[in-house]
Amino acid sequence: MAGYGDPETLPEFMKHRSVLLSVVRGLRRRSRGSSAVATQVAMMPASTRNSAFSYMYRILVKDKLAFGGFIVILAFFAWAIFEGALQVVDSVSKGTNYATIVLGGNPLMLDFSHSLLPPSTSSFGLLFGTDYYGHSVLLSILYAAPRDAGAGVLVVVSGIVIGMLLGTSAAYLGGWVETVFMRLTDAFLSVPALVLAIAVSIMVGTGFTSVLIALSVVWWPTYARFFRGQALSLKGRSFVAAARLCGTGSLSVMFRHIIPNSLDPIIAYAALDFGNVILWYSSLAFIGIGVQPPIPEWGDMASEGLGYLPASWWWSFFPCAVILAIVISFTLVGDRLQDVISGRPIT
Amino acid sequence: MLLEIQDLSVTYKTEQGPVRAINGADLSVEEKEHLAVVGESGSGKSTLGLAIAKLLPANGSYTGGRILLNGKNVVTMSDKEVRSIRGGVVFMVFQDPLNSLNPVKKVGDQIVEALQVKSRREGRRYENDSGDVVKAFEDVRIPDPDAILKRYPHELSGGQIQRVILALGLLMKPKLLIADEPTSAVDVTLQAQIINLLNSLKEEYGLSVIFITHDISVAYNVADKIAVMYAGDVVEMGATQQVIKSSLHPYTQGLVSCIPSGRKSQGPLRTVQGTAPSLLYPPSGCRYHPRCPHAMDVCKTTDPELISVENSFVACWLYPTKAKS
Amino acid sequence: MINAFVTIIFLAALIFALEHIIAPSPLALARVFAGTPKTTPQELQSIIQQYNLNAPLQVQFVDYLENVFRGNLGVDSIYKTAEISIIGQYLPVTLELVLSGTVLAILLGIFTGVIAGSMQGTVTDRTIKGVYLLTWASPSFIVAFLLQLVIAYNLGLLPSGGLADPSLIAPHVVSGFPLIDALLASDYVYFWSALQHLVLPVLSLALCTFGVATRIMRSSMVEALGKDYARLAYMKGFSKRQVVMKTAFRNAIGPIITLSALFFGTATGGAVIVEDIFQYPGLGFFAVQAVLSLDNVAILAITLIVGISVIIANLVADILYGVADPRIALQ
Repeated sequence: MAGYGDPETLPEFMKHRSVLLSVVRGLRRRSRGSSAVATQVAMMPASTRNSAFSYMYRILVKDKLAFGGFIVILAFFAWAIFEGALQVVDSVSKGTNYATIVLGGNPLMLDFSHSLLPPSTSSFGLLFGTDYYGHSVLLSILYAAPRDAGAGVLVVVSGIVIGMLLGTSAAYLGGWVETVFMRLTDAFLSVPALVLAIAVSIMVGTGFTSVLIALSVVWWPTYARFFRGQALSLKGRSFVAAARLCGTGSLSVMFRHIIPNSLDPIIAYAALDFGNVILWYSSLAFIGIGVQPPIPEWGDMASEGLGYLPASWWWSFFPCAVILAIVISFTLVGDRLQDVISGRPIT
Repeated sequence: MLLEIQDLSVTYKTEQGPVRAINGADLSVEEKEHLAVVGESGSGKSTLGLAIAKLLPANGSYTGGRILLNGKNVVTMSDKEVRSIRGGVVFMVFQDPLNSLNPVKKVGDQIVEALQVKSRREGRRYENDSGDVVKAFEDVRIPDPDAILKRYPHELSGGQIQRVILALGLLMKPKLLIADEPTSAVDVTLQAQIINLLNSLKEEYGLSVIFITHDISVAYNVADKIAVMYAGDVVEMGATQQVIKSSLHPYTQGLVSCIPSGRKSQGPLRTVQGTAPSLLYPPSGCRYHPRCPHAMDVCKTTDPELISVENSFVACWLYPTKAKS
Repeated sequence: MINAFVTIIFLAALIFALEHIIAPSPLALARVFAGTPKTTPQELQSIIQQYNLNAPLQVQFVDYLENVFRGNLGVDSIYKTAEISIIGQYLPVTLELVLSGTVLAILLGIFTGVIAGSMQGTVTDRTIKGVYLLTWASPSFIVAFLLQLVIAYNLGLLPSGGLADPSLIAPHVVSGFPLIDALLASDYVYFWSALQHLVLPVLSLALCTFGVATRIMRSSMVEALGKDYARLAYMKGFSKRQVVMKTAFRNAIGPIITLSALFFGTATGGAVIVEDIFQYPGLGFFAVQAVLSLDNVAILAITLIVGISVIIANLVADILYGVADPRIALQ
């Protein structure tokens, strides 16, 4: 890592710092190497030791269910990115309809002549039937996908970023900052996710952004606590002490040493968490918070479809099935990742 | 012979693959004999102890060999049979005293529990006269037994817990006592006490002891016989004096030479080169060959068996194959 | 205990902050409190007067805290009556539901967790894991609606919604808890009906929540069974069953008790949707209505009350834990 701190760039009279700095890097490498995954990689005979990623990939493959989940997630994200990009293009250029052309039909158009048709294989759009308004259930589901994916990613990422900053700082600075932090996150965490999300979103207004803000508010305390815990345990480790002996400032210690070493378990948890966000996002949509009709949303479809049970079961069933499939996939994959990263032995 | 282990193999199923913790080990213990099993971490010595008492963790299984305890094979015993031998024939003391006793029950209650089971097994009702208990406590040098019995485990020190477990062991009157690193978790003075205690108990109670340790000098002080383990194999076994003074296996020789003699002028401390092998991807043939100064071609391909040489047993290609042990 | 108190204050501060960050000017906040967008400027002004929104923030905050502790949670935007009295109607109903749901979830979790933990690695263990992963990953509306569909509509075994048979007259309200009030009034017909109506919602809540309990119980069982004192128990000659129940269980139960308040919190969140689907007249049901009718005062008040309930539940759980484990008793 050339640049600041690189021994070659230090002036002569500071050359003695280089010794300490290389010690710091060595210790950090060794403690990073003490993560379960890296240890196992090191233990493998040279021929199979390609990279940590190939190792993790192989672990994922061994568990058939997790692998299945992984495929579902890939398909989900691939479609969401593709369709989402098209929708953004459509909304920006005003006049193009790439998003709906790709689907082969417009899920937003009312068409009462085709109301409540049962699923049939006669055309792609009718595979899941139609709802009361004549919208194809399948096309609506596909059209809504980018928003769920987007919500998942944005909320988790913002949760991690905010949590990282606040949690690590609180642990590192300690004292009353930490106490305030703990009480504050306690307060946040004591209100159930749904209730808090409702409260925030009604005040911010309806729509996609308001749901995102609401969910982010709900999400960050969990990650903040996570990061705090990691930071606390890393604070006492030798490489942090060595870094401070070099005179590295607090901020630098946090960003260059503590945070990178906290990421391992959090990444595994985040994989699982995408599913959680989608679960709550669709629950909020179920209640009526978030993207409003006529733009389709899985939870909203499930909710409206309930009133047409059991006769027109497909309206509620398919969105529910899709939500279930996706959340379970994230849970399986995230669960497996957690097992691998925490080095839990499988019996 | 009280205990005879023949060609035992124990494998653990792990995330990364099977780990062969014990790899064709042979061992024997006579009545009233003190055997010390010596080895590094990962040599399989703790697993050996657990295997004898059939206390392997959920992911461990016997993949070969026999453990003959009083003539009966532990490996093929039914659960019911195993329950009857535990406590009565074999008893095990574990390494870390802090977790050895049930934290939510009083010490006295736990001992009574054990005695009740024992009495039921022998077909009589347990009479709580606590005379036996107090005597056992005195034998292990616990002062003020009555007070200790009323306490919870977290109120006792590590050394006290260690002794309570030993007392429990004595009360169960086993033929074989397995002690897994009883001196590792305690300080030096306590180590000496425990060693002296075990020595006196051998005479008074007539038990055989398997003393598992990584410290060969402790083994020297405690045992009549020493078995040296390396990477899941018993590489040498014999009378203490012989194993220490005229070691046969290169590993044993290395271990013995590492013992500091207390005189600075002897030069830098000797070590055994290299590190313990991974049990996930063990070396082929004799598992010691990567670190052995005398390694030959045959060592790299074939695992040597334990054979009788002079009055000891050793598993090494340096010694020509004579009659099997 | 002081911690709980401080946390409550922080919670109130949080909601206060939320209100004022999102609606910074007195006018904006008055609009929030008014609820419906069609409020006249005079009505807005009277709201500003009512809540003293022109005063400096510190004064408002102190007033707010005072009001909270005196039980004044504002005036409902839609019903125009004291918020606290409306909440007082709905809260016990939800509490009855959530407490039953939590208890059931914990019992289910303990039961399945002990079995899974003691049979680690077997097919039983993996099946249990599959079941709880499935229910845990399902949004509560799916579980609730499946139960409603299958058991109430298809099989007709239990009623599909509501608090009790609508043809019955509710007993005199003493505690607010339907079951308790029925018992107090010796109205066993109503009691039975209310009980029947309670089953499906409680079951839905429990099924969605128990997964975490199972996982925690299982892992602490596995840990306890791997500890030396479990081996010692085997050494004494106990059978596996005895070791599991007598030794490992008592040591493994700890985390579940500590986290029981967590389940209370999760169940409370799930109650919103469950009450909506089963039309069960509790706080969740009221909350959903409030969202639709833009009754913002109600939502803010509900958030505060629910938060306080969870904090109190945590406190109770802490005390109970101290009773159960002798090691903690002195703290």
